[in-house]
Order: sequence, then structure tokens, then C-alpha cells
Amino acid sequence: MRKEGKKSALHYIFVVFCWIYAAFSLYPLIWMLFYSFKTNQEIFVTNPFGFPWPLHYENYITAWTKYDVPLYFLNSLLVSIGTVAITIVCALLFSYATSRMVWKMKTFTRLFLGLGMFIPVQAIMIPVVKVVQKFNLMGTRWSLVFPYVAINLAFACMVYYGFFKGIPIELEEAACMDGATIYQTFFRIIEPLVRPATVTLVIYIFLNAWNEFILANVVVGSIPALKTLPLGVLFFQGEFTTDWGGMGATMVIASFPAILVYSIFSEQVENAMTIGGAVKG
Amino acid sequence: MKKRILSTLMCATVAVTSLIGCGSTETQTTTDAPAATEAPAAAETETEEKAADTTADASGDKVTLSIYTQYADDDTKVPYDYAVEQLKEAYPNVELNLIVQAQDDGQTLKTLAATGQLPDIYQASTDLINTFRESNQIMVLNDVAKSTGFLDKLYDANKDLAYAEDGNIYAFPFSGQEYVLWYYNKALFEENGLSVPETYDDLLNCIEVFKSKGITPLALFGQEGWNTAAAYDVVATRYAAGGIKALDEGTAKVTDEGYVKAAKKLEELVAAGLFQEDATTTNYDQASEKFLSGEAAMFINGQWYIEDATKALGENVDWMFYPAEDAASYEAGKAAFSGGGSASGFAVNPDSANAELAAEVAEFITEKYCEAKVMYRHNPLVALNTGKEPDSEYPAMMKKLSDTLPSVTSTTKFTWGLTNSTFNDGIQSESQGLVSGQFTADEFIEDMNDIME
Amino acid sequence: MKKYMGNKLAILLFVLPALAIFITFDFIPIIQVFAYSFTDWNGLTMPNFTGLKNYLDLFTDRVFYTSNRNQLIFAIVITVYQIFFATVFAITISDKKMKGRKFLRVAYFIPVILSVTVVCQLWSAILSGEGLLNKLFEAAGSGFSQNWLGDRYKAIYVIAFVNAWQWMGYQFALIVAGIKSIPADYYEAAKIDGCSNVLAHLKITIPLLAETYKFCLIISLTGGIKAFTEMNILTGGGPNKSTFTLTYMMYNAAFKKSDYGYGLAAASVMVIECMLVMLVINFIFREKNQKKEEEKSRRRRNA
Repeated sequence: MRKEGKKSALHYIFVVFCWIYAAFSLYPLIWMLFYSFKTNQEIFVTNPFGFPWPLHYENYITAWTKYDVPLYFLNSLLVSIGTVAITIVCALLFSYATSRMVWKMKTFTRLFLGLGMFIPVQAIMIPVVKVVQKFNLMGTRWSLVFPYVAINLAFACMVYYGFFKGIPIELEEAACMDGATIYQTFFRIIEPLVRPATVTLVIYIFLNAWNEFILANVVVGSIPALKTLPLGVLFFQGEFTTDWGGMGATMVIASFPAILVYSIFSEQVENAMTIGGAVKG
Repeated sequence: MKKRILSTLMCATVAVTSLIGCGSTETQTTTDAPAATEAPAAAETETEEKAADTTADASGDKVTLSIYTQYADDDTKVPYDYAVEQLKEAYPNVELNLIVQAQDDGQTLKTLAATGQLPDIYQASTDLINTFRESNQIMVLNDVAKSTGFLDKLYDANKDLAYAEDGNIYAFPFSGQEYVLWYYNKALFEENGLSVPETYDDLLNCIEVFKSKGITPLALFGQEGWNTAAAYDVVATRYAAGGIKALDEGTAKVTDEGYVKAAKKLEELVAAGLFQEDATTTNYDQASEKFLSGEAAMFINGQWYIEDATKALGENVDWMFYPAEDAASYEAGKAAFSGGGSASGFAVNPDSANAELAAEVAEFITEKYCEAKVMYRHNPLVALNTGKEPDSEYPAMMKKLSDTLPSVTSTTKFTWGLTNSTFNDGIQSESQGLVSGQFTADEFIEDMNDIME
Repeated sequence: MKKYMGNKLAILLFVLPALAIFITFDFIPIIQVFAYSFTDWNGLTMPNFTGLKNYLDLFTDRVFYTSNRNQLIFAIVITVYQIFFATVFAITISDKKMKGRKFLRVAYFIPVILSVTVVCQLWSAILSGEGLLNKLFEAAGSGFSQNWLGDRYKAIYVIAFVNAWQWMGYQFALIVAGIKSIPADYYEAAKIDGCSNVLAHLKITIPLLAETYKFCLIISLTGGIKAFTEMNILTGGGPNKSTFTLTYMMYNAAFKKSDYGYGLAAASVMVIECMLVMLVINFIFREKNQKKEEEKSRRRRNA
């Protein structure tokens, strides 16, 4: 109470700072939009930051006609959704078992899977493609989904582990008393408690899968029916020159679903039930 | 299910009627079969079927050949589109599945090769040809080159481009001898009362004048190693005609007097401000736009840039002979150019089900690329004698170049034509260090010497 | 209870799917990476065993030391920047009284959504020789203009900043989700004790989010060690490889020089470095975990 006056002045400065930083974070979005209406000359020399005028909307026409945007879009969507669903389910179960259940080797198993976070895709690319071929997955969307799941698993498990650790053991104790099976306990009581983490992870994994380029190019780059959206930029990058405006247009098109996914799911974090509520209830 | 039976039937028919086409359709059905059966389980039924559908259609009476090549700017799109059009008439049963080349230092193609997915036809650089030769993933094209008349059409000057060190043909090159040109903006030089520099002292004077006017003397796209290597090479060839080619082949050493002098000279020019300060983080488009919009007075690029430069600057652009130490070496140096041909071209995957056909098609496409480059890109420096005329007159710069070429006695290499990949990587990054002005000539010489040992 | 939580069948069912996918599509390839790092493999032909040669070459390579130095700088810069700002912003927007908090929450995350190419393109326009930043300095009459991305020694800090700026939103979202899972009555109790808001957060949020911070730390430190894309786009590793990292070395050796074995040796060293970092962080946090547990049970008893 005594600090009230002083605090509000500081507080005011701080709030202004928060808003400036936010503007600074939003700027690239606007910049990208402008960029997608410019020619190379405007981008690099005459008008790198200002409003694009005249509007070179033909960039969008080029982007739309150079490749089958709706098909690539659909492929990206299917692959990303598949990756998110499988990763979330696997990571949830795995992390629950390694964080809360009692068994030998659980720390080792957890750290073992953590290994997956450290390897760059470029290094394991050839062996991964060979595995995909062994399982006869080439030519299907699974050829992307499984490697993506494997790449994202380690990260997801680590995040879930942290969240599971914070849940009081009393919840399971109570459920056990009530005669619920371990499966019921997990799906009805524990899983809803980590929803904020799940939602955050859905966003991450979706973005990772949605933007992935290197592996997609090698695995489905030669199959027109399966190509994903990031591969579209190839149509703009020459050995020497790049059509940056057209690439900007492609990226604007590709960013919309990502922004949509974030807007929808981040609202869910807000609405998720809290552990505090669960303990009380 | 109906569709699958239909497609199998179709394949059978093809196998009987067309001896050429059967291989590909057979392999296609076998690889597609698991995809189609798995589809319902995959909960992606609809689209999976669509995928299977298109391949079934394609296997009607057609052979689909996959081709991995560049397809982005006019210089790559125009020839490709022209070739595809011509192919339709000459080989109506062949369809191309274009896989656009990624600008990733061969990462994609090498991975495809390592996992047995090499496309039927692919654009191979010297480095790839050498690598794939070791693993037998590149077809020997000697017979096809003879039977299709490729060898007859090949200009004598380009004979050495077609043959690898072991005397075999592994790729059909479409580019001929190419040259590094030192472009300059005539108008900017005139406005500032400068004449074309002949010696390095002239050049230093130009640098000073342009800098005082806020004009970048020479816009380099130093983020790309080949451009910095070319910048070193245009200086090095003034002292030792072999340039980086001689270093690559091991006939000269970087510690030789000429190369040391060249490094010191480049260091001096960089210190004087020949290039923009952030040259090493400038990409091609940034540098090119700078030059074309008159913010930079000079530019170093290949002769393929003539078309674009003329379009943007018209009469105001020209190329000059590289400046040299003194007037005598300037004159002598007019016969020594940086740049040269490379063996890069269309190669064929020997494990392809239609390897023979693919080889023929690769040769056909190569011819058409040359034609399109002559006719629509006004670039007569192609590998083959096409007998075609351009759709309009050659630009002045190209005429000047063709007039000069007969007297050229020595060329070097572009980095993509170098054979020693360790040297290639070394010269690209070390020359970049030199250009940045933060690595000394002594460091350059020392590091290059280490790399070569 | 122990039996309940030690249900063997349940554990097996829970662990198996993740392990199966991980081992097949990630672990087996990683093992191959280690194996090939002892050979002269070029990616295509049969590899020959060359023992420790690749590693010995690596340890005498000038670029190896530059790379490690860069990774260290990168990891430290992004960790400090991201964790600091993510914490501050997460606490701010978790305060229900803050106006426009929903908008801010989306805004801070936007850079994460955009593709790296766009973000790098923007920053290279700002940071280039005649870019926005230098023009601002010139307009202000200060001589602080720099060759931001082309400097042999300083460029790495600038690239690290770009990376930190873009991915801050990740940590931010994680911490927000973490705060969300802290029972609100903890704060109420603190308020009754007369703590200010800031103090309440220092005392409650940060200690309770130890696990969240643990993985934030691991993510940003190992992210720094693995860095590649930003360098690739902003500087191309230059000038003269002075912004290389081990991943970049791997890429360069494997694809530019067709020297896969050597590249994979660099990658292996990097994986080992990352693992060490993870183990060290786990070790440091283990002590605190125990303390936290004790505190929790004490709190519970008091309540």
C-alpha cells in the first residue's frame, strides 16, 4: 500500500514498453504483407520499408499459378494434423509413465528419448529416408508423418514431463481410493490438467510440421501429388536470382493457417481448467 | 478396386504394344500398389486414391521420366518450357515430371542418390559427376552421344567439356565456354568525368571519386562464394594467367609470386573501398539491383547477365577488360579471361527403368536448351551448334564479346567447374575473407596453403 | 498405491508407442551417424573404416574452434534474452488487470509463426550496410554505424539476437501455460501476507515453475548449440566461415565437399555437447527439486 504512488509511475513506463515490444513483434507481419506486393528493385533499393505502391498484386497471381496451391495446402494440412495427433498421444502417454508412475529405468528411458532433441535433421536425413523406404512408406503421407513425429517427440515429452511433475500426487491417491483404474485416472483426471501444455504443444508441433522443408523436399519432392507448401518456394529461387516478391506472396499464403491455429488454440490455454481448481473441486 | 484392375490391364497392354514404355509402368504399379492398399487404413482415402489415379492415367501409353533441373528465373524457365514443348512433338509418348532443383549445394540430389531415388534425368555439376562416377550412379553416354549426333553438333571449343577425365561422356553440357565480365555503368563514369580504368591506379582513382559521391564503386554479391572467388580470379589472372584453374589442378601453388601479389592487390583495393562494406552479406539480387538502379558503378558477373543488364540499362552499360598493374600487362591481359566452361549438364540415372530412353531425351533436351538460349536469351555461348538465329539482334555487349573471343588465349574456371572440392570450398570462403577486409592477404595465402596440404 | 502406480502393463502400453517411433525413425539413424563418423563415407559409396581420423582432423581444424566459440556465444545470448523477456511478459499478461492482454499475448508470439526466411529477410534489411539501423544512427549524427552482419567477431552476437528475438515467443507461451497451472490461492495467500505483485511472482511463480524453466533452459541452450538456419540465411556462414557452427560444418563438409564422414564427426561432437548440457542442467535442478518438494509439503501442512 505504501508503495502505491511510486509503483504506478514505474508501472506506466513498463506498460508502454510492453506495447512497444508488441508493436515490434507485429511489425514483421505487416512488413511481409508489404513485401509480397513489391518487386526486387523495391525490396532491395527503392522502398524496403514503406507501403508498396503501385501494388504488385501480380506476385500473388504468379504464386497461385506456378504450382497447385490448394493441393500443396491440403497435403501440408494432412501431414501437419497427422503429426500433431500422433505426437501428442505418444508424448502424453510416455511422459505420464516416466514422470509419475513407478518403475526402474524410468529416468534412463526419459533421457534416452531426450537424445532426439539434439540431432540436426541434415545429419540423419539419409538414414531416415532409408528407414522410411524399409517400411514401404514411400509415396504415402506417412513417409513424412512418422519422421516428423520422431523429431518432435523428444521436445514434447520434455515439456509434458515438466507439467506432470507439478501435479500433486493426492489426485491419483484419491482416484485410487475411489476405485478408478489407472487408465481412467489418466484420461479423466490427469490429462485435462495438462491441457495448457497440450495446447501449447499443438501449436509448436503444427508449426514445425507446417514449415518443414528439408526432409519434405527429399521424401516427397518428386511426387507431385504429395508435395507440401514449403516446397512452393523452390519455384522462386534460381541459382542466381530469386523472385522475392513472389516468395513473399507464397509465405503470406502459408502463414495464414499458422496464425489461425495460434489464435484458436491460444484462447484454449486461457480457458483451460487449472490444477488449483481441480484440487479444490 | 475397379481402378486398380483397369490400371493393371492398361499396363499389360502397354507391355505388349510398346517395348520402350513397359519398364516404367511396371515399376510404377509395383510401387503404387502398397500405397493404394494402405490408403483406406490411412484415413486419407480420398486423396490417396487421387494420387493413385493420376499415375494410372499417366501410365496409359505414356512413359513418365522424372527430371531434376532448375526452374525459377527466365534463364532457366524459358529453355525448359521450350524443350518440353518440342519434346511433345518429337516424343509424344514421353511425359516429364519436373522436380525443381533446390539451391542447397546438392544436398537434395545427393540424398536422393544415397537412398536410390535418383531421378531419371538430372542436372549434374562437375562435383556431382565426380561423386556419382565413383558410385556408378551416372550413366556413360558415349554411344548415345554418337547415335544422336550430339558429338557432331558440339563446337570444337567445347569438346573438352563433354568428356570427363577418364575419357567418357557422363553429361550433356548445354552451356559453352562462359566468361566473367566486369560490367560498368557508362553513364556514371561519364557524369563523373572518369574514363574506363586500365590500371589499378586508375581504378583506385575511380574508387575515390565514386566514394566521394556516395556511389558504391563495385557491388559484389559476396554472400555467394563464387562471386568472391571470381573477384580474386580477375585479379589473379593479371599476374598468372592460369588463375584459380591452375591452383585447382595443382599446376601452380598459392605461394607462387603471382598469387601472392594478387592477394595483396585485392587486399589494397578492398581497403580502398572497391566493394560495399557489407559485401559479404549481400546476395545476388541486392547487388544486382544496386548496379541496375545506378547506385553502384561496377559489377562482376558472368556473360549471361548481358541480357538482363541491357534490358535495364540499355546503352548505359558495357563491360571492360579487367584492370591490371600497368599498361603493358593490361594489354597483354586482354587475352586472358576469368571463367570458362564446365562439364555441368544433363546426366542420366543408369538404374532408371528407361535409362536408354532417358539418355535420348536428355540429349534432346540439351539441344533444345541450346536453341532456346540462342533464340530467346540472345546467348550464343552454348555448347552446341544449333543453326538457329536469335529472335532479335544480339545486344551490343554480346557483339563486343564475340569479336573479342577469337583472340582469347586463356580462360580459367567458375567455381562450379572446379574439380577439387576441398580447394573449391577453400577458395570460396578464403576469398570471401579477403573481400570482407577483415582477413589479411597473408592469412589468405597461409590458410589456402594449409588447405591444399 | 505403489502397486497402483507401478502397473506394469499400463507402463508398457504408455511407453511403447513413443519408444517404437523414436527408436525406428530417430535412434537408429543417430546410431548410424555415430558409426559413419569413423569412416571416409561420401554418402554414396561403401564406407571404409578410418578410425579416429575424422575426429583428429576435426580437433586440428581452425573452424572447429570458431564454431564452438560461436555456439557458446549464441547459446548464452539467446538463453539470457529469451528467459528474461519471456518471464517478464508472461507475468505481465497473466495479470488479469492488464489491459489488452489478449492482444499482447498474440503479438508476442507472432514472430514464431513466421517462417525463418521472412524474419531473416526483415532483419537483413534492417541490419545491412545501408539498412534502417545504420540510417537511424546517421540521422542521429552518431558514429555508431556498423557492418552488423559482416563483422568477423561481432556478427555472431547480432545473429544470436535475431534468433533470440524470433523464438522468445516460444518460451513466453510455455511460461504462460506454466503460470496457468499454478493454483490461484497461492497468490491470494501471498497477498494476504502483504507481498507486492512483483514480490509475489518472485517468491511463487519462478520457484514453482522450476520444471518449466528447466526445459526452457535446455531448449535455448541446445538450440544455440544446434544453430544453423539463421547463419545460413543471414551471413552464409561468412565472412570466411567466421559465423560457422558445428551443424554448419556438418552441412558444409557433407554436401559441399562430399565428405560425409567428417561432417558426421562434427555432428556427433555436437550431439555429445548437447547431451552434456542436458545432464548438467538436470543435475543442477535435481537439488532444487528436492527442496521444492519439501517446501510444498510444508506449505500443505500449514494450510
